[in-house]
Amino acid sequence: MFKKVLVANRGEIAVRILRACRELGLETVAVFSEADRNALHVRYADEAYLLGPAPSRESYLRMDKILDIAKRAGADAIHPGYGFLAEREDFAAKCAELKIAFIGPKPSSIAAMGDKAEARATVIKAGVPVVPGTEDVGNMTDDDLLGVAPTIGFPLLIKATAGGGGKGMREVRSLEEMPALLQSARREAESAFGDGNVYLEKLVEGARHIEFQIMADSLGNVIHLGERECSIQRRHQKLVEEAPSPFLDDELREKMGNVAVKAAQAVDYINAGTIEFLVDKDRNFYFLEMNTRLQVEHPVTELVTGIDIVAEQLRIARGRPLSYAQGQVRFNGHAIECRVNAEDPFNNFIPSTGRITHSILPTGPGIRVDTGVYPGFEITPYYDPMIAKLIVWGETRAQAILRMRRALEEYRIVGVRTNIPFHQTLMDSHRFMGGQFDTRFVEERFSMEGASEQSDEQVEIAAILATLVAHKETERAAQIVRGNERDASNWKWVGRWERMHR
Amino acid sequence: MKYVTTIDGKEYQIEIVDEHHVRVGDRLLAVNFESVSGQPVYSLILDGKSFESYVSPGDEDWQVLLRGHLFQVKVEDEREKRLKAAAGGGLAEGGEFQLRAPMPGLVVSISVIEGQEIKKGQVMVILESMKMQNELKAPRDGKVDRIRVKAGESVEQKQTLLSLH
Repeated sequence: MFKKVLVANRGEIAVRILRACRELGLETVAVFSEADRNALHVRYADEAYLLGPAPSRESYLRMDKILDIAKRAGADAIHPGYGFLAEREDFAAKCAELKIAFIGPKPSSIAAMGDKAEARATVIKAGVPVVPGTEDVGNMTDDDLLGVAPTIGFPLLIKATAGGGGKGMREVRSLEEMPALLQSARREAESAFGDGNVYLEKLVEGARHIEFQIMADSLGNVIHLGERECSIQRRHQKLVEEAPSPFLDDELREKMGNVAVKAAQAVDYINAGTIEFLVDKDRNFYFLEMNTRLQVEHPVTELVTGIDIVAEQLRIARGRPLSYAQGQVRFNGHAIECRVNAEDPFNNFIPSTGRITHSILPTGPGIRVDTGVYPGFEITPYYDPMIAKLIVWGETRAQAILRMRRALEEYRIVGVRTNIPFHQTLMDSHRFMGGQFDTRFVEERFSMEGASEQSDEQVEIAAILATLVAHKETERAAQIVRGNERDASNWKWVGRWERMHR
Repeated sequence: MKYVTTIDGKEYQIEIVDEHHVRVGDRLLAVNFESVSGQPVYSLILDGKSFESYVSPGDEDWQVLLRGHLFQVKVEDEREKRLKAAAGGGLAEGGEFQLRAPMPGLVVSISVIEGQEIKKGQVMVILESMKMQNELKAPRDGKVDRIRVKAGESVEQKQTLLSLH
């Protein structure tokens, strides 16, 4: 049984994992890049070791260095978090070779779910519904695909076999436009992944993205912890998640939960994982993919089930049985998570970098903030822009939304621009409140301006605020050159002022 | 001191009477105004009503973020504004526009060439930062004057990428 855990990650998730280790009395080791010397995870861990320069490929993606550090520090377990090395079967395999417990699934499960074609084939065999599409994925010629397309039906999607993040993806409305779209999809896939292979999938219109949290121990017990609604996305990036989904009832939840468990069993899954589904308007659901790791949005499940998922992960990796049987998992209330990103929602969501000079976190009933930043910390362009997760719990969905609005207004971050105003606008949107949205909602039916018009009073307050600040600035500028009350001459004073600001 | 403050074309006559009073139009209001621990976050108590807001300088105006809404506010000294109007100015449209990098990053591609006529909203440069690609668009119609960077080049924040004529 391991005693010392190396966390091969950074940011809020590294902090989250360190906290669980601390609570369980496990010793911790952090690794960091040159840009992260002052990061919170470095300060919270018992030991910390430098990996290398800021870019990920020279630091957080360096398996060899991370494994060396684990040996040097005597860490007998590694938690990969999400992203970076979390879904690399070769990393999990190397850990096993070195007798270091990898806190996650077996390498074979990562491999089976990482390859889209293999994942699809495996779950189909287990009786899990998938989006109708080409079964013989990989190496199909344009002629093959054009022949198969009418049997799948339009509209459909061309997707890259090696794909992700929407690259090499094309929506096809008719057979006539398909040849040209195939070519451009292959070209894009080739340049993005070095692999021009594509396959076809039926386009599920008005689809929601709903995923199930799975927990499995090494004794063969597999349970699900219910679903998370993740349809609020922009450019295939999730922005808001909630549990439960306003779209599911108990019957559909049980059905999908059972299917999710089956999908996990099909690859002998161990530890925490997530089965992603697309759900259409008529409540048909289709397996999309499995994420073989801890998810960013795991806290919403923690808040409605009361289960500490990271602590369970550590327990499972130590070879112990799950703390809960399926029948003991109870859902209570409603949780919502907003991902706070350093991006400017008023300027096309352009990333914002800089030093955080001031920050006030929301607190009070039902609020949780998972973050890796603090005043004085520098947001660099090297890593992803998520700087915090704001999670709220309420007895009902309505209470959770009201609480989220309150918390968003309390949250102050100065120094970088954040997407908090986006979340505020979203929480005020009638469609969001009514639970009426699909995965295209943000891109097609949402606008930062289109929201409720501002009251006259509000506009006047803004005018007064700007005038007061502008006036203050004018006065300050005037004082520098005036200065009749000072004992020193203006030149002396300017000299001092300049030295001070050097 | 009197100011003319404009939001979305609507003008407000605001006079700073003394440290504790402002006059908006003909209403005299009691003001208690503080910056929160020296940051560009301001607390305003106006006739007993309490507000908190971010106020930061933009290029030519002030940006006020109040309850999740961003206001672009122009504040002008009343006398200056009158003088300007008398001089028969009105800002000249056009002139040179410098496209600066809004954040540090890597130039992925440049989709225009020198001398090219472009339309407002047209993508000029794609810049990658924080693992995301960002399209930098033309703020108005114009002609590309000089391109100062190449694809594959790393740029600093506020570095000039190209200029428009």
